[in-house]
Amino acid sequence: MYDSNGDGIGDFRGLAQKLDYLRELGITAIWVMPFFPSPLRDDGYDISDYTSVHPNYGSLDDLKVFLDAARSRGIRVIIELVLNHTSDQHPWFQESRSSVDSPRRDWYVWSDTDTRYHGARIIFLDTEMSNWAWDPVSKAYYWHRFFSHQPDLNYDNPAVREEMWNVMKFWLELGVDGFRLDAVPYLVEREGTSCENLPETHAVIKELRRRLDEDFPGRMLLAEANQWPADLRAYFGDGDEFHMAFHFPLMPRMFMGLKLEDRKPITEILQQTPAIPDPCQWCLFLRNHDELTLEMVTDMERDYMYDEYAHDKGMRLNLGIRRRLAPLLDNDRRRIELMNGMLFSLPGTPVMYYGDEIGMGDNIFLGDRNGVRTPMQWDGGWNAGFSAADPESLYAALILNPVYGYQAVNVASQKRLQHSLLSWTRRLLQVRKSTPIFSRGSIEFLYPANHRVLAYVRKLGRETVLVVNNLSASAQAVELDLSEFKGNILVEMFGRNIFPRIGELPYLLTLGPYQFYWFRLRRI
Amino acid sequence: MADEDILSDDLLRQLMSVGETDILVGIHTHNNAKTIGRVVQAVREGLLKHFPRERVAILNVDGGSQDGTTDLVRAAAISDVGDATPFYALRTLHCISSQYDSVPSAGKAMHIVVAASDLLRVKACAIVAPESFEIQPDWMNRLLRPIYGEHYDFVAPVYSRQRFDGMLVTNLMYPMTRAVYGKPIREPRPGEFAFSDRLVSDLVGHELWNQDAGRLGPEVCFTVSALADDARIFQTFLGPKGHVDQGPADLVPALRQTVAPLFWSMEATFDWWNTIGVLQALPSDGPEYEVSMDPVHVDLTRLHQMFTSGVTDLQDVLRSIVSASTLAQLQSAATNEGNNFQYTDELWVKVVYEFAASYHRSVINRDHIIQALAPLYRGRAYAFLTENLKASKDELAMHIESLCQTFERQKPYLLELWTAQERGS
Repeated sequence: MYDSNGDGIGDFRGLAQKLDYLRELGITAIWVMPFFPSPLRDDGYDISDYTSVHPNYGSLDDLKVFLDAARSRGIRVIIELVLNHTSDQHPWFQESRSSVDSPRRDWYVWSDTDTRYHGARIIFLDTEMSNWAWDPVSKAYYWHRFFSHQPDLNYDNPAVREEMWNVMKFWLELGVDGFRLDAVPYLVEREGTSCENLPETHAVIKELRRRLDEDFPGRMLLAEANQWPADLRAYFGDGDEFHMAFHFPLMPRMFMGLKLEDRKPITEILQQTPAIPDPCQWCLFLRNHDELTLEMVTDMERDYMYDEYAHDKGMRLNLGIRRRLAPLLDNDRRRIELMNGMLFSLPGTPVMYYGDEIGMGDNIFLGDRNGVRTPMQWDGGWNAGFSAADPESLYAALILNPVYGYQAVNVASQKRLQHSLLSWTRRLLQVRKSTPIFSRGSIEFLYPANHRVLAYVRKLGRETVLVVNNLSASAQAVELDLSEFKGNILVEMFGRNIFPRIGELPYLLTLGPYQFYWFRLRRI
Repeated sequence: MADEDILSDDLLRQLMSVGETDILVGIHTHNNAKTIGRVVQAVREGLLKHFPRERVAILNVDGGSQDGTTDLVRAAAISDVGDATPFYALRTLHCISSQYDSVPSAGKAMHIVVAASDLLRVKACAIVAPESFEIQPDWMNRLLRPIYGEHYDFVAPVYSRQRFDGMLVTNLMYPMTRAVYGKPIREPRPGEFAFSDRLVSDLVGHELWNQDAGRLGPEVCFTVSALADDARIFQTFLGPKGHVDQGPADLVPALRQTVAPLFWSMEATFDWWNTIGVLQALPSDGPEYEVSMDPVHVDLTRLHQMFTSGVTDLQDVLRSIVSASTLAQLQSAATNEGNNFQYTDELWVKVVYEFAASYHRSVINRDHIIQALAPLYRGRAYAFLTENLKASKDELAMHIESLCQTFERQKPYLLELWTAQERGS
């Protein structure tokens, strides 16, 4: 986000300096990527010390400063925690591999053969041939669902479960508000299964949740489980597992619906999404630090997505597309607004990825997912205002091209313009936060005959909001059956203009290309 | 006629919801509940399989069915409304249905499909017959791919038929269009065919829709328009068509739907066809002629009786249509039957050409001319059947080819007759 000490790497003190920007934007919580000591072979998801801060990002004291600054601005902080695996450089693994008699031997999953759990799929198909890796030190195979340098912890071992709770407790005591728990479906392995979403894994999570509620009420757990809605539902339990979970299957279908100009993919996946316990919430997102994952789509849908959004093979990674929001949408302001309009009006908590609020671009020529992890573009000056370091020493290269480069796309210039994407996004958040209906309200789809129009009604108490989205590049007319709301007038929520009263006939609306409306229904 | 008169408000509302479409399949129905379910399912399956990413829609134009035909069509839609279908589709597949406000008319229905295609900016449109119970999903690919993927303008079908099925086609429509327009279109009045947006643009405001020919036989007018427009034409092999029995009583309506539109179209396109000489082959994706050798049961005696009585009863009418020598040969033929029956290819071609020219000159009421052709065609059918009852598949093909060559050889005679009036003869 921001480099406070000029070493070319963003840090906690720098992040603390940018909290006012984030507060002005209107966000309510920050999700911080892994900041733990790590060999950084997987951008910090290979942790070698769970209770410290990687020196690149500062110190524990710096983190405390940041946490205090966020709290004083009403911003909550969620940190990343990788439960499933450690780095192979973690002392626990070093100890475990050192001897079969090591007290930590059973902290990881070891085997004499590489044939166990063959029902488990390989996630990183581009780089891994097997979920087992041979350890020449230990002369045995160890289990890893991700990279081979990330051995999985053995959650059948009570000592591991206890230790991971201790890790969580450490951070909670320091003041973090919650955890985004990475790769949760894979905690436990069982022969003859896919080793995903097992009851034993849920038991581990329930235990962590119980302890969290007992010792730290008001804190939360967010699941990263890239699964189908029916499988995801289990991670909410009876309100006794995760508070929140990312809705992975919805995200690619929003892009699909936009490209197809057809609401069907979106409504279908939401129809398949089961209800969740009252205190729980979905997290919705368009883009994040990973590739646009296409694991939760059919083969036909994946081919379509690749052809439409990643025609250049360099844009593809694993089963996904490594691009940011603006380039995915051809930098089309109308489409960016529409997608955000849907993100912020569908049921769930919207999660934005840094830089997408100003339409930052990506660099597919950087390896892995680094192309979407480039420095925040604060202004058009030295290193985009991100760092005072020599440009050559920046941790990640700046975006330099004429369309998305920092001189064209940056916070400072967009702050000055009333109609910039940043200003528009800020307004979107204001309107979203003007009513709790978007976060807690029910949803009913309207299914007008025009399939290019996605329309739904959100209700909470006596309040009703109508959302109408035109997924098409051309103007559309749509007739909505609003007979249930006969007599109400429509008040457009951004401009607060009044639309005609709902009468006997279907309500006729016309929408420009990619236009959307949020209407508050009022009986006056 | 303007589009707004063709499309009802109800259909317009449905089209608004469908929006811009890549591929449209039009089906004209009138009480086809027995077969339409099978047809629409095959169409849907074919579209989903072969055009999964395209914006597709099925448009049913109905002439007032009372048997639930339109409900069966609508039920084939795939959307996010109601129960999930067993079919997986990337996008919505609209199946819309509209009843027009007049007696059932193929021309009216076709005009609606063409106007809808124009409004929806359809790139490729296919027409499917509602009674084609042998339709396969693959037909969608065969009909539409040449247009959508290979930029042809018109795709005509080739069917595998029972050997004496479609004798009006093999003995008149095919050889005559081939001779006149120089392109061997096997099915000038196709049940299934497809056309491009370019043809739609040419035809949407065409005069044919206001004519009996266009109202009764729009498929023939469509085919001839493609031929005379120098459109890129492709023939696709669809396999068995399925045989729908047509007794002798159906012949006059059949002639109105086939021969009359052909004669009318020849008038409209004379400037084009009068210069056509050399036969041009058409690209295709399968056999151009395929018959099955199933046993046939035809009442030859009745056919012969209808011919002889027709020649006798319509003597005065025929005298005004055909030449004296032709009439004499017909009368002579009517006196014999069996192996002695003489109704040669040359005589038949002469009859047809003289009828065409008389239709052009409107020597009598044009519909009476068409009706008068019925007994003469029955005589030709009798001759063809008696000659070919024991013919092999190859011999049958050879006889049809020989007839085609006779039509081609005698084309100068047609031109002479056709232009006689213009020359003041």
